[in-house]
Amino acid sequence: MKISVLQHAPEAHLPIRPGDPTPTSRNLNPLMHPFSRARERTRALNAAKMDRIFAKPFIDSLEGHIDAVEVLTRQPGSLTTIASGSWDGGIILHNLSTRNRLISLPQAHKGKVSGMCFAAGDRLLSCGVDRNIKLWSVTSESSKTPLNVFPGKSAFNSIDHHRTDPLFATASSLVQIWDETKSAPVSNLTFPTSTETITSVRFNLSESSVLASIGSDRTFTLYDIRTGKAERRVVMQMRSNSLAWSPTFPTTVLLASEDHNLYTFDIRHLQTPSQIYKAHVAAVMSCDWSPTGLEFVSGGWDRTVRIWKEGQGHTPEVYHTKRMQRVTSSIFSGDARFVLTGSDDGNVRIWKAKASDKLGVVTARERAAMEYRESLKERWKMDTQVGKVARARHLPKSVYQASKLKRTMLDAQRVKEERRRKHTRAGESKPQAARKKIVIVEQT
Amino acid sequence: MDALIAKAEAIAPLGKRRKTFHPASQKGPKRPKDTSNSDHTLHSIAKHTAVPKSLSKLPDAAPTHGHIANKKLRLELNRHSAQAARAKELLKDAELLLGDEAGKIEVEGEMERTWRVGQNEIAQGAGQEAAKGRREWKLEGGPYQSRYTRNGRHLAIAGRTGHVATFDWQTGTLHSELQLQETCRDITFLHDQSHYAVAQKKYVFIYDRDGVELHCLKAHIEPTRLEFLPYHWLLATVGNAGYLKYQDTSTGQLLIEHRTKLGACTTMTQNVHNAVIHLGHQNGCVTLWTPNLPHPAVQILAHLGPVVDVGVDPSQGGRYMATAGKDGTVKVWDCRNWKGTVREWTVRGGGNVELDWSAKGSLAVASGGTVNVYNPPSIHTPMLTKAPPPLYITHPIPHRPITSLRFAPFQDILTIGHSAGLSSILVPGSGEPNFDSAEADPFENKKARREKEVKALLDKIQPDMISLDPEFVGSLAPPSKLTTVTTIDGKPPVEIPFARLPRLERLKVSGKADETEADNEDEGDDSNGKKFSREEREKRKMRGKGKSLKRYLRKQRKNVIDPTAVAIRAKLEKQKEEKLRAKLAAKNGESESRKSSALDRFKRTT
Repeated sequence: MKISVLQHAPEAHLPIRPGDPTPTSRNLNPLMHPFSRARERTRALNAAKMDRIFAKPFIDSLEGHIDAVEVLTRQPGSLTTIASGSWDGGIILHNLSTRNRLISLPQAHKGKVSGMCFAAGDRLLSCGVDRNIKLWSVTSESSKTPLNVFPGKSAFNSIDHHRTDPLFATASSLVQIWDETKSAPVSNLTFPTSTETITSVRFNLSESSVLASIGSDRTFTLYDIRTGKAERRVVMQMRSNSLAWSPTFPTTVLLASEDHNLYTFDIRHLQTPSQIYKAHVAAVMSCDWSPTGLEFVSGGWDRTVRIWKEGQGHTPEVYHTKRMQRVTSSIFSGDARFVLTGSDDGNVRIWKAKASDKLGVVTARERAAMEYRESLKERWKMDTQVGKVARARHLPKSVYQASKLKRTMLDAQRVKEERRRKHTRAGESKPQAARKKIVIVEQT
Repeated sequence: MDALIAKAEAIAPLGKRRKTFHPASQKGPKRPKDTSNSDHTLHSIAKHTAVPKSLSKLPDAAPTHGHIANKKLRLELNRHSAQAARAKELLKDAELLLGDEAGKIEVEGEMERTWRVGQNEIAQGAGQEAAKGRREWKLEGGPYQSRYTRNGRHLAIAGRTGHVATFDWQTGTLHSELQLQETCRDITFLHDQSHYAVAQKKYVFIYDRDGVELHCLKAHIEPTRLEFLPYHWLLATVGNAGYLKYQDTSTGQLLIEHRTKLGACTTMTQNVHNAVIHLGHQNGCVTLWTPNLPHPAVQILAHLGPVVDVGVDPSQGGRYMATAGKDGTVKVWDCRNWKGTVREWTVRGGGNVELDWSAKGSLAVASGGTVNVYNPPSIHTPMLTKAPPPLYITHPIPHRPITSLRFAPFQDILTIGHSAGLSSILVPGSGEPNFDSAEADPFENKKARREKEVKALLDKIQPDMISLDPEFVGSLAPPSKLTTVTTIDGKPPVEIPFARLPRLERLKVSGKADETEADNEDEGDDSNGKKFSREEREKRKMRGKGKSLKRYLRKQRKNVIDPTAVAIRAKLEKQKEEKLRAKLAAKNGESESRKSSALDRFKRTT
């Protein structure tokens, strides 16, 4: 008869030398892990709660402007340099990491600064309602005077620089292309029948000769500077306030609309937006893509900043403070970790792009724990309690009431439409999808 | 602009919909299939590489969630279930990594019996280290209760007359030893060896590792049995008053007390897989309790006469329960299905029977002066006769009564408490050989213990999640069975849950709707042969006229055009017409009908 009795070899389970890590052993038999699902759920709930506990997105506010900050722009290729332009005509260059002013130009323009962009070689272009475009050097406290002034015929609304060439485009009643070396515009671009004011113009980041503009006549227009004419135009239900090309996907463009929504369009198919982003309760004033192209930020007339995931049209991250007024400009920082917003109260605020992000050094174990928590939240988001904790956001009373009212109104509209369809001949055809109602006409 | 569009097409084409292949629409001669699948890169690396096992093994039939309407969610869930199925298959591979081997007794000859092997022989056959598990502790102070920690390293003992001690039985370090000078009925460790609770004469007391009295739980009066639910941090006690009380040991709050209404209770055990408390009562009932139900989740009449011990099998996920009664029978029950016992047998020397299941599913039964151990498959194979399962090991104890049996976790050791102290015997094959150091580690050091305490507190499960089926957490609501295939407003048939149907449809499904209108929509026939319109008939009808359901149906009938009803009506109309035609034909043709003649073939067909 063979008899053997279970015995554990201590040398297999104890550290060999003092200081060695203790050996661990695993047994994956599910019976060895009772309540594994319930425990995982508890962990997910804790992860969601921790995420909310540590959600302190506001970092700092950069002061210096007297009036609303209408323009914010970041220097391409720099993580720290940010320029802000205000309604008082001042321009300030901020350093993000030290949070101090590099250059302050209090009277850069008469009236508001309506557009800014960086040019190659540490130079800054700004335009204003005083009908001037000014080229500044931003290397040091070199001069309070511009390097060059380009006089225009009408007030400018926006400016954007070409990716590679020494060209830039301005928006006034028409789109003008300028050469940095010439004092008059190189060419004028306009849609043949257009009589509108162009509010914003942006070059495509990939195909750099294509540019897009939005106008006061509820239009979105595409131009090509090589052919020198407007290629296509779309008229929408409401006008757009801001425009941004996706940095990673060349044909995607984001529009911040007056009707409280944001839209992404694929310019190959302009009849319908590829996604509608609904959460703001007032007009969206500004938008900007994250450099990763996976997120974008928008600032609204409702005094909130929202951070959206590309392709997810609801429940964005929402930031607000008591003192922040209408958000007139918003950009992502170059490393996609921060968001900057300029508002009516004359401050530029720095926020974390991820509210509960830890700033500072993160060890490998900490990183692993964070990633585990993220995946837990993702996995258990359908759980009532976990999902509720993860989704719930405190909103200012005004925004909350406005969203409630908006929901009521939309519900009433929907019900009315349903009844109308039920009892009239309108019900014979299929209802029109919400996405198809946005664009009125596409012109070429 | 064209360059831009071309660039984008290369990254992601605009049409997100997959192009469906229509063989019918394909024009022209069929192109020969591209058989020269010459991917040079693939061929060059194929010899040296392999697809990882986690990707290569696709499970055959992972459950899909066809009933979920949301397409994104459905895909996500299908992906989860496929992954779970794959992980389950891959578990077998991970078994290779398990290092330690379970103990066993192998018989060589036909006539050899394992139960003939005595403890001395086993201790000799075992290695020197394993033989240390065979011990006798001769102690004064009455019959002893004992309890191991979850990692099996520490042992707490309590004598009836008040001798309490906790120690690391492997190294022999004594943590604390107390002479409490009063009756001690039970002892249990809390989450680990740093705290233990003792059921004393009047109250439950909590001591720390060094034997310092930390708490006196005055809410628990005259306790007889203690159980600690480690994942919920609950101390459950039951006493002579018949109240089952749960105390949360992390917050100190008395969670809930259940009045069992079945008198003094001296038998309690927990199901480690779902944290349900099993109580055995004086009237022969066994009740299963959870904190969130004020009444037992299950109550069975297990024995004639008092129940003296209950045990739940941990090896099968808590599927089997064994009960022992004062009537001298041991019964094994299937906890999924309470229709009678799986197996039952009578023990010799009746009276005080003690039970315990080991981690591998061995059942130890102490009765009279012997401890018998049975091995798993035969314990729960159904048997018509009341014969005991084949005996695995037996061990006589000369000191009566035997009051407690405890298998040591991760060891082949059974500790028996009796009037003269405690004895440990070796039961080869009863212990789980491979521990998981994330759950319970016999070799953990001080730091690991501290860390585990914190982790366990963070992972504490809320007590309201205790239920008979622990898998309900995070599982989907089952697809509703009460769906009915209905057509509403002439739309294609859809499956709608019963509760969400409109009222008339609901009545139709349950057979209460008045469906008569289809037949006698037109003039009905009275018994007198008189014809009345429907309104007339309804007006004349006396019984049940004012019923709200009838009124509702009558009103509904007026302006509802039910496509099925219309179709039936049309069919009936047609049948009626046909019948009429046949009748007419019969009437006219009766005179003409005669025997067919051969000349009929020349008849002109009209």
